[in-house]
Amino acid sequence: MPTADPAVELSDIHKNYGTQRAVDGISFTIARGEFFGLLGPNGAGKTTLIEIMEGLRRADRGTVTVLGHRPWPRDTALLPRIGLQTQSSAFFVRLTAREHLATVAALYRAEPAAVDRTLARVGLTDRAGVRVEDLSGGQRQRLAIASALVHDPELIFLDEPTAALDPQARRELWQVLRELKGAGRTIVYTTHHLDEAEALCDRVAIVVDGKVTALDTPNRLIAAGSAATRLVVPADRLTLEAARALPGVTTATLDGDAVILETADAGPLLAAVERAAGGLHGVQTRTATLEDVYLQLTNQP
Amino acid sequence: MSAYAALSAAGYRAYTRDKTTLFFTFAFPLLFLVVFGLIFSGQTVEESGRPYIAYIAPGVLSWGVANAAVFGVGFVLMQWRRDDLLRVIRMTPTPLTSVLGSRYVLAVGIGLVQAVLFVAVALLPAFGLELAAGWWLAVPLLVLGVTAFLALGAIVGTYARTPEAVAAIANCLMVPMAFLSGSFFPLDAMPSWMQTLSWIFPLKYLNNGVSTALTGSGSGADIALGAAGLAAFALVFGAVALKTFRWSDRT
Repeated sequence: MPTADPAVELSDIHKNYGTQRAVDGISFTIARGEFFGLLGPNGAGKTTLIEIMEGLRRADRGTVTVLGHRPWPRDTALLPRIGLQTQSSAFFVRLTAREHLATVAALYRAEPAAVDRTLARVGLTDRAGVRVEDLSGGQRQRLAIASALVHDPELIFLDEPTAALDPQARRELWQVLRELKGAGRTIVYTTHHLDEAEALCDRVAIVVDGKVTALDTPNRLIAAGSAATRLVVPADRLTLEAARALPGVTTATLDGDAVILETADAGPLLAAVERAAGGLHGVQTRTATLEDVYLQLTNQP
Repeated sequence: MSAYAALSAAGYRAYTRDKTTLFFTFAFPLLFLVVFGLIFSGQTVEESGRPYIAYIAPGVLSWGVANAAVFGVGFVLMQWRRDDLLRVIRMTPTPLTSVLGSRYVLAVGIGLVQAVLFVAVALLPAFGLELAAGWWLAVPLLVLGVTAFLALGAIVGTYARTPEAVAAIANCLMVPMAFLSGSFFPLDAMPSWMQTLSWIFPLKYLNNGVSTALTGSGSGADIALGAAGLAAFALVFGAVALKTFRWSDRT
């Protein structure tokens, strides 16, 4: 998705730690307003790559451009336009949540009214007066995310923002992220929740061993990765032998109380199953997800 | 609110909400004053004929102020770097001078409050300190002392990675220095080689200067020497602190 004025442009980035190649020749462009996901196993180089974009680390080789600036060395004109989720330990000790965020806001020279607005946005209004040491894990994480938003930046980096959140808080944060995208912000984030990446991201890059092994929209990655559809049929309605005889079945296996059929073309097979099993009641169709593609690309069982 | 004011406010709150540090900073030096003051109550040092309290009060005060400056900034710098708070600050447009400036103002404020409290107690009849006419000259000396020892503490905080390391390094520096600079007992009663050696320590310049200002034990030249020595140490330590400063433990 090449644009005239990208948010981030990486060209042939290399970064070694001793003999270990953390980032080994990564190039891509993130458009303004894009929601961009970085996926990959732990230790794949995602965090190093994000830190290079943020300007916290210097690439050994290659060029980085962020909002038209070089992030390294420290550029105080660029920094207020970037927001980053801090570590959930990076709080000013013995301050309340509001006092901490007000301090961060002042460091960015943001308006004081933004503090309570941002606390409300991440759902911490009723915990604003609690000391940072007394917040729960999820609350600390939301306060860390608030640090990324309080100065209303154009480009937001989030590192596993939903990792410590319960399902309710996770959905609430999705809503916050969608609103930010709706307001034209660019979001770059890492996650291990692939359902989340599929639901939120415009494009995802899968990073393995310091290289990008796939980069596309979640839908296109899924379509390219695996064409197989699975049908799950209750075993008392269809025997394994009968299943294997159906047209278009590539494999059929028995898994507990269900027969699992794999096929490249679900339409005709569904019609055949309907006849053989006496209706489609209780029959489930499962298409490939981003998780299947991810596991395939990262060679994990 | 400016970044500098916000950092100063955050530091002030963190400080006043920490009862252990408050005790260590304000009550601990007073404890030394009480113990030494009562042991040597009414006694004089043979070699000079001056009362013990005239040695002990400025000595313990100088040590207390220097100690608080070293420990205070050492702990904060180590902790901010370990918890990635320095990276947070680094990712904002706030200049390093605002960060250091806020710690400096806080340290000078703490040092002056320590001095007022300490001198007020030492003036009680039980201890019997008598102030000389030029006592106020101790104020600029204490400010210079805080500057030098804050810079020293910043170096400690840069190299230490754990609270235990800060305490170990700072104590290794400050405890021998306190004894060899005459903070806890009069150097006048010590061998002359030790009196000569003491001039390599910044605390000696603070002791000697503050002692002269508060008790009139020396001349204006002693105060000028103290100020010049402390300024020189502040410059050297400050240069090393800025040179070695790191935003993060990771490379």
